[in-house]
Amino acid sequence: MSENTTAATSPGVPVENPTPFGWMTTADHKRTGRLFIVSSMLFLVLGVFLDLLVRLDLTSATEFVSLGSDGFAQGFTFSREALTLLFLIPAFLGMAIYMVPLQIGAPNLAFPRAATASFWVWEVSAIVLIGAYLGNGGPYGGWANGVDLHLLALSGLVVALLIGSIAVATTVMTMRSPGLYLDAAPPFAWSALVSASMLVVSLPVLLGQIAIIYIDHRYGRIFLSGNYGIWERIDWIHRTPQLFIYVVPVLGVVAEVVLAAAKRRVFEPIAMYFTLGLVGLFGFGAWANFSVTGEGADIIDGLEGVVLVGLYGGAVLGTTGLLGLLGFALVQNRKMPKVTTSLLAALGAGKLVLFGALFGLIGAATDWLEIAGRGNDGNPQLRMTTWVTGQQSVLIYGAGLLGLLAAVHWWAPKIWGRQLNELLGMLNFLVIGAGALLAFLGPALSGLLTEQPDFVYGEPNATAIYASWVDDSGAEGLNAIGVAGVVILLAGTALLLLNVMISIGMKKGAEADDDPWSAQSPEWMLPSPPPIGEPDQLPTLISGTPLLDAADAADAEEATV
Amino acid sequence: MADTTPTLASGHAQRPRAQLVATGFACAACSMMMAGALGLYMARRHASGPHPGHDWLDGLAVPNPQFDYALLTLVASIVTAHWALWASRRRDTAHAWTAIATTIVLGLGFINMVMYSLNRMGLEIGAGEYQNLAFATTGLALTIVVVGLFYLGLMGLRSLGGSVGQQASTAFGAAVFFWDFAALAWAVTWYTVYVVK
Repeated sequence: MSENTTAATSPGVPVENPTPFGWMTTADHKRTGRLFIVSSMLFLVLGVFLDLLVRLDLTSATEFVSLGSDGFAQGFTFSREALTLLFLIPAFLGMAIYMVPLQIGAPNLAFPRAATASFWVWEVSAIVLIGAYLGNGGPYGGWANGVDLHLLALSGLVVALLIGSIAVATTVMTMRSPGLYLDAAPPFAWSALVSASMLVVSLPVLLGQIAIIYIDHRYGRIFLSGNYGIWERIDWIHRTPQLFIYVVPVLGVVAEVVLAAAKRRVFEPIAMYFTLGLVGLFGFGAWANFSVTGEGADIIDGLEGVVLVGLYGGAVLGTTGLLGLLGFALVQNRKMPKVTTSLLAALGAGKLVLFGALFGLIGAATDWLEIAGRGNDGNPQLRMTTWVTGQQSVLIYGAGLLGLLAAVHWWAPKIWGRQLNELLGMLNFLVIGAGALLAFLGPALSGLLTEQPDFVYGEPNATAIYASWVDDSGAEGLNAIGVAGVVILLAGTALLLLNVMISIGMKKGAEADDDPWSAQSPEWMLPSPPPIGEPDQLPTLISGTPLLDAADAADAEEATV
Repeated sequence: MADTTPTLASGHAQRPRAQLVATGFACAACSMMMAGALGLYMARRHASGPHPGHDWLDGLAVPNPQFDYALLTLVASIVTAHWALWASRRRDTAHAWTAIATTIVLGLGFINMVMYSLNRMGLEIGAGEYQNLAFATTGLALTIVVVGLFYLGLMGLRSLGGSVGQQASTAFGAAVFFWDFAALAWAVTWYTVYVVK
C-alpha cells in the first residue's frame, strides 16, 4: 500500500513505524481503517462461499449435497456469522474509522489505540471462530469445547466491534472542527454516529446472553437444550430489523455520492439527518423476542406483530424520505450527473435498502393480519420461511456489497491514492446487482409459494424436513435460482478484490489528485492519500460542504464582476 | 512574582470531553448487556413454576443481611469517590489521595463481601437453573464493578500523578461516573436476583 510518511506531524505525536510491527501498534486511524476494510473484504469471500454451500444443500429433494446432514446446520450458522460479524459490520466500521476524522476536521480518532486494539481482537476472534467451526464446534457442533470456544470467539467479536463503535461515535460527538456543528456534519459521519450508537445499545445484549448460554452449556446444560438451544437465541443479530442498523452507513455513502454527483446540498439537512436516524432507530429491538424469550420459532401475533410492523414501517419511512431528498437534489441540478461506478452502486444500494425494508413490512403485515392463513393450521409465518433469507440477501448482498462497492470506488483515492478501474467497476456493479437479485428471488419466492422453512431450530440436520418442501413443491428450482445468484455474487466479490489488487496492489490505477470527483465534503480538501500520522495543520470547518461553499463563492464573485 | 511556567508548543485542541462521552457510551453498552442477561433471567423465572421466585431456589437461602451490607459498602464508596473528585478539582492532593484509597478499599471490601455471601449461600454452578442464571448475572455485574474499580484507580493515579488540571479531573470524573453506574448495575442485579429472586 502506498503511504506518504514524509509529512510533518504535530509536536508530541509519535512518528508512525512503517514496519509490520508498526501496523500492529499503530495509533493512526487511517491504518486501522485500512486493516478493517481489507480484512472484512477477505472474510466476505468466506461468507459468500459458505452461503453457496448451504444453498446447494437445499437444491436436492433427497440429500444435502454439499455440507451433508451433519454439517448443514453449522454451515448455515457460520455463513450468517461470517456475513454479518466478519463482513458487513466491520467493513463499514473500517470505513468510518478511516473517513470520519477526515470528514470532521479531527487530527485522529478519539481513541486511536483502542481502535487498533479492537481490530486485532476482532481479527484473532475471527480466526478462533473459524477454528471452532473447523473443529466441529459452533451451534449444533459435536465438540463441546468447540461450542464453548465459538461462544468465546463471538464475545471477542462483539467486544471488538463495540470498542471500535465507541471510538467512532465519540469522535463524531467530541472532535469536530470548532464551528462544525452536528447538524452540518457530512452525511457519512452522521450515519456512522447513528450506526455506532445503535450498535452500542444493541450488540451488548448478545454479550449478556452469551454469558448465560456459556455458563449453562458448560455447566449442566439445564435449560437451553445444550448446543441446540444456542442459535435461536443469537440468531436475531443476523435478521431484520437488526440488519437495518448495519446498513445505516450504506445510506451515508449513498448520500455522499449522490449529493456530490448532483453538486447540490440537500435542501433540508435536518430532514436528511432525521431520516438516517429513523432507519437506525427502527432497527432496534430485534433482541427482545429472540434472545430474551427464546421464542424465535414461535408464532408472533398481537402486540408483537404490531411492533414488528411498526419497526419495518419506520425503516421504510426513513429510507423513502432519504431517497426522496437525494432524488430531489439530483432533479434540482437539471443536468445529467456523470455516471460512475460509485453513483450506480450507491443508487442501487439505496434502493435495495428500501426494498429490504418493504419486504420486511410486507412479511410482517402478512403474518400479523394472518393473510393466506399465515400462522394458522400449521402454516408457518413468512418470518420463519426462506422469505427471511431473501430479505437478508437484499440487505447484506444488495445494500451491503453494493454499498461497499460504491464506498471503495468513491474513497479509493483517499484511502490508497489511486483510482480503481472504472470499466471493471461498472462490470462489477452489474454482476453484484444481478447476483443479489437472484440470491433474493430464489429463497423469497420459495418461502412465499412453498413455505420452505428458513431454518428449523430444533431439528436443524433433519434432511427429511427440508426435503419435504423441496420435493414436488417447485422449491428445487427456486433454490437453484438462489444458488445461481450466490455463484454470481462470488464472481462479483472476486472481481472487486481483483480490481483492488490490480489498481492498488499492482499500482495500475491512475494516481488521484486531491479531489478527483469534484466532491463537496471536507476529506477532499486533503491530499490523496492523506499523510500517515497526525497532520500539523487542519482545515477549520464551519460546514460539511466546504468545497461546494468555495465553488459557490467563486461563482458569486464571478457574477458580480 | 513572575510566572515562570514554561510554555509548551501548541498542539491540537485538547478534548477533555472525549473520555466522558466514551464512558457514557460504555455505560450504555453495559446497561444493555445487563438488560439482556436480566431479561433472560426474568423470562426463565416467569416460566419456573406457579410460584416464581420460590420454586426454583430449591431450598437455597439468600443471606440478605450480608448482601445488604455489601450494597451499603458500595454506596459508601460512591460517597468517597465523589469526595475524591471534589478534592481533585480543588487540587487538594492530600484529600484526593485519601479519598481514592478509601474508595478502592471499600470496593475491594464489597467484592469480598459478595464472595462471602455467595459462599455462605452455597450457590453451586451447574446445580440448577437458578444457580446458573444467578452465577452468570452476578458474574456480569461483578465484572462491571471490577472494571469500574480498575478504571477509578487508574484515572485517580493519572489525575494525581503530577497533572492535577481541568482535563485530568474531567477524566477522573468520567471514572467516577462509571463507578456510579457500576453501583447502579449491581443494585439492579441484587434486587432482581437476590431480593425478587
